[in-house]
Amino acid sequence: MSIRPLFAAVAVLALAGCATDPAPIEQMRLTEQAITQAKAVGATADDVPEMKLAETKYNRAKGNMADESYRNARMRSEQAELDARLAEAKVLTQKSEEQVNVLNTRIVRLRKQLGDAQ
Amino acid sequence: MSFKSKVLGGLILAGCASLYGCAGQHSESALQEASADFQKVKEDSNVLRIAPKDVIRAGESLARADRLSTYWGSGSDVVHYAYLSQRYSEIAREHTNQVLNEERAAKLELDRQRLQLALRESKLLSVQQQGKWLEEQIVALATTQTDRGLVMTLGDVLFDTGEAELKNSANRVVLKIVQFLQLNPKRVVRIEGYTDSTGGKQENLKLSRDRAQSVADVLMDLGIDDKRIQVEGYGDEYPVDANASERGRAQNRRVEIVFSDEKGQLGAAR
Repeated sequence: MSIRPLFAAVAVLALAGCATDPAPIEQMRLTEQAITQAKAVGATADDVPEMKLAETKYNRAKGNMADESYRNARMRSEQAELDARLAEAKVLTQKSEEQVNVLNTRIVRLRKQLGDAQ
Repeated sequence: MSFKSKVLGGLILAGCASLYGCAGQHSESALQEASADFQKVKEDSNVLRIAPKDVIRAGESLARADRLSTYWGSGSDVVHYAYLSQRYSEIAREHTNQVLNEERAAKLELDRQRLQLALRESKLLSVQQQGKWLEEQIVALATTQTDRGLVMTLGDVLFDTGEAELKNSANRVVLKIVQFLQLNPKRVVRIEGYTDSTGGKQENLKLSRDRAQSVADVLMDLGIDDKRIQVEGYGDEYPVDANASERGRAQNRRVEIVFSDEKGQLGAAR
């Protein structure tokens, strides 16, 4: 007799658990945006491993959306978003490094010319 | 049969337990890694300055993973949030490196500009040395260093008789003078016209002045500032040779260009 409320509680909890995972439409949009942005700065799946992860996970998340497996869709999509953001950040850092290298090269050349001129 | 099924059940149970154990360990190590990464970015003053938002998000995700790890059966959630936390830490690190590089690049750009300026100056210096060479040439080119300074004489052949117009044959020497004045921007010149003693005094004075002026005009046309050019006509005064012979008169018909020193100090006019 006393065990029945427990069952009820478990059932409610289980239902609640299901209810907490609505279709992550906004998250999917954010992820797509992040991937587009990363691509815009030149991140490609071939060059940046994080970009490949992002695309793979996003595609799987789309599959999960179709299956209405929203929990998986949300988690994969969230991870894919950050993978893409990391890929973008890495590409930008790489570019800034190249910029520094170019400047250093030019400075070395200038110093050499100055040395020659004197 | 029942024994077999018991063994099987036991095996399955053991398997489940070990799987759970693995999962538990897995989420535990993910949590530890994320926590270590977060500590590193949190203690980096550059990261805190440049990417505080990413650090905060890394901390929030980590706290979530940490909280979930105390619940039973939430292994995959813990791993998920630990993953997000790690990503945020990495993103914070990358953003920081990017901005640090940009700051470095800005400093280097200033260095580069400074060096470029120095190089330009040194090149200019070498051009000025070239100017010195040209000066030697000009000195050699029928100039005399007198107490009036550096004096260059344009001979009679550069003008037609009685005409003030400079002939085309003077082009080469005029261009040299222009080049010399451009390389020595502080130097100024006085252009002095002289004639022989044939003809009236007033006419000679006018002719000498006109000839000097026509040389000055050409220099101005070629880009020399008129403030750097003085013009004088002395007529038949100050002959360099006797006016008795044709040769002497030819010597006396001349335009002299008096150059100032490098600082623009010109000897007094006659």
